[in-house]
Amino acid sequence: MSEQTGPEQSSPELTSPEQTSPEQTSPGDGGPKGIFSKDLLDACISCGFCLPACPTYAMTGQEQSSPRGRITLMRLLETGDLAPDDATLAEESSLCLGCRACETVCPAGVQYGHLLEEWRDEQWSGLKRPWIVRPLLLIANRKWVLRTLGLVRRSARRRSGAADQPTLMLGCFERGLFPSVSRGIAALDPDLAVDPDQGCCGALHAHNGELEQGRDLARKLGERLPGTIVTTSGGCAAHLADVIGRERVVEASEWLLKQNLDVSERPLRVGLQDSCHLRNGLGVWKEPRELLGRTATYVELPSAGSCCGAAGTYALVRKKESKAILAKKIAEIEAADLDLVIAVNPGCLRQLQTGLRKSQSRTKAVHIVDYLRGHKA
Amino acid sequence: MTKIPPAVIADLRALLGERVLTETGALAAYGRDATPLFRHAPDVVVQPLTTEEVAGVMRIATRHRVPVTTRGAGTNLCAATVPLSGGIVLSTTRMTALTEVSRDEMLAVCQPGVTAGALNRAAAAVGLVYVPDPGSKEASTVGGNVATCAGGLRGLKYGVTRQYVLGLEAVLPDGEVIRTGGRLVKDVAGYDLTRLLVGSEGTLAVITEITMALVPNPAAARYGVAYFESMADASEAVRDIVASGPAPATLEFMDAVCIAAVEDFAHLGLRLDAGALLLFGDDGEPDAVDRSVARMAEVCGKRATHIELAESVAAAEDLLAARRCNLPALARSGSMTILEDVTVPRPKLAEMVAFVAATADKHGVRIGTFGHAGDGNLHPTAVVDGDDQAATEAAMAAFDEIFHHAVDLGGTITGEHGVGAAKLPYLEHRLGPEQMALLRRIKGAFDPLGLLNPGKLGS
Ligand SMILES: Cc1cc2nc3c(=O)[nH]c(=O)nc-3n(C[C@H](O)[C@H](O)[C@H](O)COP(=O)(O)OP(=O)(O)OC[C@H]3O[C@@H](n4cnc5c(N)ncnc54)[C@H](O)[C@@H]3O)c2cc1C
Ligand code: SF4
Ligand code: SF4
Repeated sequence: MSEQTGPEQSSPELTSPEQTSPEQTSPGDGGPKGIFSKDLLDACISCGFCLPACPTYAMTGQEQSSPRGRITLMRLLETGDLAPDDATLAEESSLCLGCRACETVCPAGVQYGHLLEEWRDEQWSGLKRPWIVRPLLLIANRKWVLRTLGLVRRSARRRSGAADQPTLMLGCFERGLFPSVSRGIAALDPDLAVDPDQGCCGALHAHNGELEQGRDLARKLGERLPGTIVTTSGGCAAHLADVIGRERVVEASEWLLKQNLDVSERPLRVGLQDSCHLRNGLGVWKEPRELLGRTATYVELPSAGSCCGAAGTYALVRKKESKAILAKKIAEIEAADLDLVIAVNPGCLRQLQTGLRKSQSRTKAVHIVDYLRGHKA
Repeated sequence: MTKIPPAVIADLRALLGERVLTETGALAAYGRDATPLFRHAPDVVVQPLTTEEVAGVMRIATRHRVPVTTRGAGTNLCAATVPLSGGIVLSTTRMTALTEVSRDEMLAVCQPGVTAGALNRAAAAVGLVYVPDPGSKEASTVGGNVATCAGGLRGLKYGVTRQYVLGLEAVLPDGEVIRTGGRLVKDVAGYDLTRLLVGSEGTLAVITEITMALVPNPAAARYGVAYFESMADASEAVRDIVASGPAPATLEFMDAVCIAAVEDFAHLGLRLDAGALLLFGDDGEPDAVDRSVARMAEVCGKRATHIELAESVAAAEDLLAARRCNLPALARSGSMTILEDVTVPRPKLAEMVAFVAATADKHGVRIGTFGHAGDGNLHPTAVVDGDDQAATEAAMAAFDEIFHHAVDLGGTITGEHGVGAAKLPYLEHRLGPEQMALLRRIKGAFDPLGLLNPGKLGS
């Protein structure tokens, strides 16, 4: 019989707060490291309400890949009870999609998205950042690159709007990948001002371990574009709103609905993929549905509200998991027999297009702005 | 403490492949559950998928004499899944097969890792309900519900998990598989091992399959809220309601601390000047429900300062939400919440609530109390600054008195959450030395080597 078992030896050794340091973890000094905002970390009561909402927990069924488990890891990192180079810390900070579905069900109002940003700020600094995202951050950080991208790929042209009219934010990757989106919204609302010399909002940086820079970029963008800012990307909208204030940020479908966009109806079956940050971060999910419902037969996909696996740079950093999540979406879309599936975010759009193309589906993925442009009455 | 021998890990890997976790960080994540103050990491975590795999894990554990702690969603509030002696954590979260939902037999058969919410939705799809309705139902597992004998907001009329478990399949520590009960409503052959396993908190066997009775979905449900000057008035109203007719489905209360916390958090328009509130409601056939709710409103009317009936489903949902968000609402005001769970005979409810308030005052701890007035089950919840050692100790001292007082009033130390490690020190006060000894002999009969969840029931 090995010496540690049997009823007589198994009396509880750790039943009081004084004795709680788990010896399997490397002993730390137990003091706060200042990595996380104390209020944010303290808010979690470990109730586990977030478990069923989390896609990565659904994938593994493992505590450490649930929001609650990740917060436990963060706490242990904060107190030094887990070494900074612990393998699980590294794995979990990148396995998390950052989709913030956990926030919507948390009864204690834990701001998981912020915790994740602080975590990655620590975990992904310098050389520890996944190499694949490094050049992206650099590109987004250079105004001249963005300007050139906009020129080459012909995104919306400069124009000044009426004094109280909002300005269009030109997403940095959208400029390269889907320039028609900014042209589209400019066409849908001719009063929108466009400033081609704007920088990046820094969402990408904030989500990838450059929290301060991410915030700084957002602040600068806020200063450059006065008044209300209209965005065509959920991720950017949520980050920008977080830094410069929700009242200044309007997402495209919110805006168009407010403008009473006049649309025509067509005999199409369309579905929607929510942008996680738009839905979970800004609470915008009814608006795109409302617009689509006016233009065609709207079909709610069973998992429309949960992440498609694009998740910013996730599709690059965690290829395998991203594909697994996408595969389920594509199967769902196929089963729904849609003509179009609509995205409200460039990252999701690209993810869906890739998946649909690979499975040679008849369904096409389209950005909501491009779609509505074709339906303008 | 010595770690488990490497041969154990090798054997587990041979059985389960990748579903064996040994990384330090992963183990640390399994070192705690929803109970603050208790923490101890296991040596290894396994995720079996089938009964055969569970049996394989238990055979390995027995061969090497390694303790095993079974874990569902880890939402228990009594440190029941903290592996106090290390060893193996057997996680059921991937045993999620829902084998059968039968409308005709009004039952479901499932693996233990299915969440209560998922089972409820599957039942609802055929017009039935999974009765145990713990606040944690979307997260907690059916296995965990059975092992803790969970209850919920409908306890007064419908009882707790115990009443609905028809049969179980379970794996004993040596790997043998037993089947207790079955699909029959009438079956009295032998000792009732099904009921023994319900509430056994993972100390007798690992439950691997559950046959659960379901009930028809009630046609209607209505709710109302009554405000009182004091908890004493509210308790008298509870007594009168119960005396005045059949038990209603829901009779919940909140004290002033909880009302303030909930209102501050959820902005539902609760009256902040009240000393206590009662949330009452019933379900069943529409006209019967109307009669029942009218009767309760009338009885409350004798003492209440205000009564509001929920006119719409949305308003009723708001009321229920208010009751369900008690814990998080309280939690917002401190870094650590300790939720407890005592039950007293219904006539003693007011006395108990008053005692809790006085004890909280005495120790300088903020304690809000809410609970199931109808069945005398209250949840005194302390909110403290987790970094403040003295405050934590004061809270523990307050609870110590609260547990003893509950038992002295003819009550018990847990009504639905279980004993776990947190309340084991109080169990003898509740059961007496003779019963404790019998409990240990029963534990010995199932688990002679003391491998299952050491430091908990039967230890
Ligand atoms: C916010 C909140 C609200 C809650 N509300 C309620 C409520 O209203 N009513 C209520 O009763 N409880 C409530 N609880 C407590 C808790 O949710 C229940 O006790 C629940 O039944 C635990 O289920 P679980 O899957 O999380 O089990 P766990 O916490 O993982 O395990 C609990 C116990 O069951 C054992 N166990 C788990 N699975 C098995 C198995 N397959 N075989 C053998 N043993 C097993 C474990 O070893 C442990 O002893 C609440 C908890 C929270 C955090
Ligand atoms: S739901 Fe919120 S409070 Fe509960 S464990 Fe998850 S993050 Fe923590
Ligand atoms: S952000 Fe998404 S993936 Fe990450 S913990 Fe929350 S729910 Fe899970």
